[in-house]
Amino acid sequence: MISVTPTALSDSPNKLDLNNLSPEQVALNINNLNLHYGNKQALQNISMAIPKGQVTAFIGPSGCGKSTLLRCINRMNDLVDNCKITGEINLHGTNIYDKHVDVAELRRKVGMVFQRPNPFPKTIYENVIYGLRIMGENNRRVLDDAVEKSLRSAALWNEVKDRLHESALGLSGGQQQRLVIARAIAIQPEVLLLDEPTSALDPISTLTIEELINDLKKEFTVVIVTHNMQQAARVSDQTAFMYMGDLIEYSDTNTLFTTPMKKKTEDYITGRYG
Amino acid sequence: MNKWFKSGSPWIWLSAGGVSISLISVLGLLWLIASRGLSYFWPSELYQFNLTDEAGAKQVVIGEIYDREHIPVSQLAHLNLTLPEGQETLERLLIKTGNRELVSLDFRWILSTNITQTTKPETLAVVERRTNGNFYGFIDHIVLDGVEVAQDRLPELVERVEQFQAEIDSLQKSDIGAINYQLERLRLKARKHQLQGELTPELQQSIDDEVAKLESDYRTLEKELMVFRDKIARDQLVMRAMDGQLVTINFENILKVSFNNQLGVFEKTKIFFSQIGAFIVDDPREANTEGGVFPAIFGTVLMVLLMTVIVSPFGVIAAIYLHEYAGKNSLTKLLRIAVINLAGVPSIVYGVFGLGFFVYMVGGSLDQIFYPETLPSPTFGTPGVLWSAITLAILTLPVVIVSTEEGLSRIPSAMRHGSLALGATKAETLWRIILPIASPAIMTGIILAIARAAGEVAPLMLVGVVKMAPNLPLDGNFPFLHLERKFMHLGFHIYDVGFQSPNVEAARPLVYATALLLVSIIVALNMTAVTIRNRLREKYKMLEH
Repeated sequence: MISVTPTALSDSPNKLDLNNLSPEQVALNINNLNLHYGNKQALQNISMAIPKGQVTAFIGPSGCGKSTLLRCINRMNDLVDNCKITGEINLHGTNIYDKHVDVAELRRKVGMVFQRPNPFPKTIYENVIYGLRIMGENNRRVLDDAVEKSLRSAALWNEVKDRLHESALGLSGGQQQRLVIARAIAIQPEVLLLDEPTSALDPISTLTIEELINDLKKEFTVVIVTHNMQQAARVSDQTAFMYMGDLIEYSDTNTLFTTPMKKKTEDYITGRYG
Repeated sequence: MNKWFKSGSPWIWLSAGGVSISLISVLGLLWLIASRGLSYFWPSELYQFNLTDEAGAKQVVIGEIYDREHIPVSQLAHLNLTLPEGQETLERLLIKTGNRELVSLDFRWILSTNITQTTKPETLAVVERRTNGNFYGFIDHIVLDGVEVAQDRLPELVERVEQFQAEIDSLQKSDIGAINYQLERLRLKARKHQLQGELTPELQQSIDDEVAKLESDYRTLEKELMVFRDKIARDQLVMRAMDGQLVTINFENILKVSFNNQLGVFEKTKIFFSQIGAFIVDDPREANTEGGVFPAIFGTVLMVLLMTVIVSPFGVIAAIYLHEYAGKNSLTKLLRIAVINLAGVPSIVYGVFGLGFFVYMVGGSLDQIFYPETLPSPTFGTPGVLWSAITLAILTLPVVIVSTEEGLSRIPSAMRHGSLALGATKAETLWRIILPIASPAIMTGIILAIARAAGEVAPLMLVGVVKMAPNLPLDGNFPFLHLERKFMHLGFHIYDVGFQSPNVEAARPLVYATALLLVSIIVALNMTAVTIRNRLREKYKMLEH
């Protein structure tokens, strides 16, 4: 078994019964989701409910489909040619794959942070307010407030408050990733998707981001993909283990890492493969 | 040896050699046109040669040494020269003697063996004139209002004429020009109403009144002009030519009198720069062989700028469509190949196309619809600066499309995804993120387009360039920018002056000077664009790695 720090575990106070969540406890409901890249099936019949206001982690070996599943939630897979999706993902009772769903609108509700920091070549200030500008917000005071609030939430305010109008490209990798998080939360999404947010960062930046994730769940539902099991154990309340496009096991993090139900999960978390 | 090959040194030497050859040819070219072109502006020494020809006849030749060459003696066998044994070549000098009213050619060759004496008399003067070229000779006397006066009043009199001449020019160009322009507009207005059958007697009356008023203005100005004309025609300069003949030159015809042999280096330098300045800001004279090239500079720059304004949006939009929206199928591939091939079409073909399509079809239709009153004389249905700019825009379109597309494909997809994930649509992402990042590449395309367009002459000869344009495309008469007008172009100017002029020998330095100017203007335009691009690159530099 993997050793998990007690403090991390005690961070998930009220265990949820993931199979019997009441509608107000659910942020997202994934139903029989299948995804094909051309002839290759990448996701097989995934069904799960992602609880509100908690951190849910997807783990699994490379190529297991965890990032693909994450990208389904804000329809980033639409950008991939030959990608065919069946099944449903429900947000507030609406299937986000319905024809009349406005994808841009959906992505405002479901924000995303990528593996590598991708700040725009603009000032720090302009980066943070990019989403608001897209929504047509031009009031200087609203924008100023949003910048401060988002940067504070992303634990970046103290480092950059004196150089808001300098290029974001001058920040370090860890700062850039926090800026990208600030940019994502500036438009007040309901769900925040983090796709291996620390894989391109050094250990200290990683630690900062992990602490940040803990704070973020107070306001947002967080879904994180990670290849780092310790990270999943440290930051998440629920963990889903995926393998070869299947959802193998999904339970609260403590249970999954201490008493996994499935043999495959146990093999993975004990390091037999991965 | 084998080791030396393996180390890669030969290839480094080879590529360095390639760079050196390019660099040397560019610098050599620039040096050649700069030295030949700039020497035109340097006041040269004036010589007096005493000649004795083979028959023993004596002669005096005055002028500037223009060129020297050595010719084989065998060519001169018919002269029966007595030469030292073994001498195979003879030097001969090309002398610019001017004085076109006395001899038909400004230039003559003299053999150096015939020269018995060479002097540089300080009182030898060169008179630059409005017509008939330079006059070389000695000042005999000056006649002021019929009375002979002292020679030291010469500068004062030249300056006086110059002032009046400036007044005359401004009267003729702006005031009288504006009146003519308004008269023409009134005539067209009357004609337009007549064509529409709306020419009421009252309207005709009001137009007639305006015409009468303008005509009376015109007469006033004409009188003023006549006064000035009389004033500048008052004095005469009497010069003694090399053969002793006296020639009277009216002061109104004189631009400048200088005693080059009296000038020090400092004064010569001053004249050198003032001549360069005059070359840049003056209008051409005497079938373009004298004077400046300002209208050609203006026409070149205006046409290139117009072309840039037209080609940039079209090229960028086309590239965006090809790269972002067009399906990735064989039709798109075919389109892309067609665009690239468009760059290989000879430019004269574009000229023919521009003349047939833009000038005659589009321009002709525009005339029918908007300017029926001027027909049968065309407004847009004739070559002009607008059609030239559009023709060159089509010619340079592929360059802009290709480099913009390359810029678009270099942008990391993380940028697009980042923007899309924040709820931006594809169009918003393009406008706010992709285009700014691609702007250095777009600028590269524009730089290449400018470089290509500024050097093109062949298509322009069909769609708008003329030897001598009476008016600039930009003037003080509404609507100020007259895109239908024909214009002058430095490239065509070089061709015209160098190869179509009656006096090729005199025009040679002018060709080099114009070439130097054209190169400098292209370099200046390019440097501006490169500076802008480098600024943009600096801004987006971190994305490169």
